[in-house]
Amino acid sequence: MSHDPPTYDDLSVRRFITATVLWGIVGMLVGVVLALQLAWWPANLGLPWTSFGRLRPLHTNAVIFAFTGNALFAGIYYSMQRLLKVRMWSDRLSSFHFWGWQAIIVSAAVTLPLGMTQSKEYAELIWPVDLAIAVVWVAFAINFFGTIAIRKVRHLYVAIWFYMSMVITIAVLHIVNNLAMPATLTRSYPVFSGMTDALVQWWYGHNAVGFLLTTPILGLMYYFLPRAAERPVYSYRLSIIHFWGLVFLYIWAGPHHLLYSALPDWAQTLGMVFSIMLLAPSWGGMLNGLLTLRGAWDRLRTDPVLKFFVVGITFYGMSTFEGPMMSIRTVNALSHYTDWTIAHVHQGALGWVGMTMFGMLYWLAPRVWNRPLHSVSAATTHFWLATVGIVLYIVSMWVAGVTQGLMWRAITPDGLLQYPNFLDTLTALKPFYWIRVVGGTMYLAGMVLLAWNLWRTAHPSARSLTPTATVEAA
Amino acid sequence: MSAKDQDRLLGHAQDNDGIDEYDNALPTWWLGILWGSIAFAIVYVVDYHFVSDRSQVATYEAEVAAAPQASSASAAPLVITPEVLAAGKAVYDANCMACHGPELKGSVGPDLVDATWIHGGTLAQITETITKGVPEKGMLTWGPILGPEKVAQVAAFVHGAGGGQ
Repeated sequence: MSHDPPTYDDLSVRRFITATVLWGIVGMLVGVVLALQLAWWPANLGLPWTSFGRLRPLHTNAVIFAFTGNALFAGIYYSMQRLLKVRMWSDRLSSFHFWGWQAIIVSAAVTLPLGMTQSKEYAELIWPVDLAIAVVWVAFAINFFGTIAIRKVRHLYVAIWFYMSMVITIAVLHIVNNLAMPATLTRSYPVFSGMTDALVQWWYGHNAVGFLLTTPILGLMYYFLPRAAERPVYSYRLSIIHFWGLVFLYIWAGPHHLLYSALPDWAQTLGMVFSIMLLAPSWGGMLNGLLTLRGAWDRLRTDPVLKFFVVGITFYGMSTFEGPMMSIRTVNALSHYTDWTIAHVHQGALGWVGMTMFGMLYWLAPRVWNRPLHSVSAATTHFWLATVGIVLYIVSMWVAGVTQGLMWRAITPDGLLQYPNFLDTLTALKPFYWIRVVGGTMYLAGMVLLAWNLWRTAHPSARSLTPTATVEAA
Repeated sequence: MSAKDQDRLLGHAQDNDGIDEYDNALPTWWLGILWGSIAFAIVYVVDYHFVSDRSQVATYEAEVAAAPQASSASAAPLVITPEVLAAGKAVYDANCMACHGPELKGSVGPDLVDATWIHGGTLAQITETITKGVPEKGMLTWGPILGPEKVAQVAAFVHGAGGGQ
């Protein structure tokens, strides 16, 4: 602990980083297993607990709430204390937040393979766990706003606005979408029914993407990118306008998940046009990120942190262009329910969230452990493994998705389905599923490399140990 | 944007943990996307809902009206010959056997060779059941999948094998 005034709570940051790396490996490993199951069915192992339907929510929950969640908290705890020039308001709440969040993740890892689910995408967890999430989140919110209240600076930096949008919106989304009447300890009935339930679900689902995987990551970008590049932010004006544009427009875009459904046409239209208007505010964030690097581009050759940031921000620009396009009714008619959607979400998750968080971790770990990064070349190797892995993943799923969509809608001159048997489409997709397994494995290998590198950074005495023993310990 | 405004620092570095901010103007092309997408949204809403009716119900009805009348030809008379029954068996083996069993004795789907015809045992009724399916029980709507000719063949085969009425 440093004795300089003010002293910051970096113990929480170190804890959240450790949890990020651990859960990141678990979440991505389950993802690779799922990819393998789709290409080669015996990987289901013939056991109910390891079947695709049960492992899939484990993968999504682990990557969204465990990997990204812990990474966000690590970055937020580190940056907000320094931006507000004050220690977190309550160490007790910080500790409760950390251990509570890990307990929730462990309970998810137990209940989901056991088949306990409320069958809402990204909100599968059963009601007792949902209640725990609400309690832990509100504890974090109190600590967060308490810290803002006792801050030593007047001006709130743009990163803090983005964090605030997450803290408030995720609380509202989580609580409303999980309103349910418990029947037993593991079962409950949602208070909404039918189409209303679907609309609330996708209002939640899309804004979980918006306010957990987008706005807080942008906030972290606004702190860690200028710090790492040692350059001023390109435009304060742009940050204000794209922030308000983003938070105002995002919340309406959910109905684009329900195009061509029983949802009334006017609500579908609303979801589509708000998604299209979201393009400029999203690209505002990309522009402010990339243009902040003016004058620092030469450092991209040597600094893996900036490499990760640039590729992450570029993927953000690509996926926020693709998203509005996919929300157009006629495009959605082809893309919906196909692997194109899978390509799109992984562009965001692996490309934007993953790469940006890796860049942040490589910058952050040496600072909170007060040691130089163990291996810059290993970080660079991680960068290339991850980048090539993402490209293989996304391109194969684009091709698979378009193939699938075209085969489903192919009609013979007699007006009959050209591929009436679903198996026809699966056979056509198999090679692409194998390519995805390769891409995903490369991405996971990069993640393991990161774990080893951070472990060696935090525990330099381990240098005397044999390399294999160190990898296992990481 | 005038050149003197370019890269003017706001002096926030003291407050922002060393991060200063420029106050550069919004790029013109970015503003073009912003206003362009808002204009598109307005035009789209007016056109879709008030000028040309492109609602999904209207689109569906237009497509159904324009589609070839595949299933209405299913009543075409068919002379039952050994060739037709052999063709019907081939259709059965490829499409029906998975649920109704290799001996037509049923597994997922009902037995087709016992005395009971749940949805009627005349050739016309069997043809109708295959064509329209029984979606609530998992029997597919085979009409648009197989086409009228194959439906007639497999109906003749099932009718003959099952001792239809």
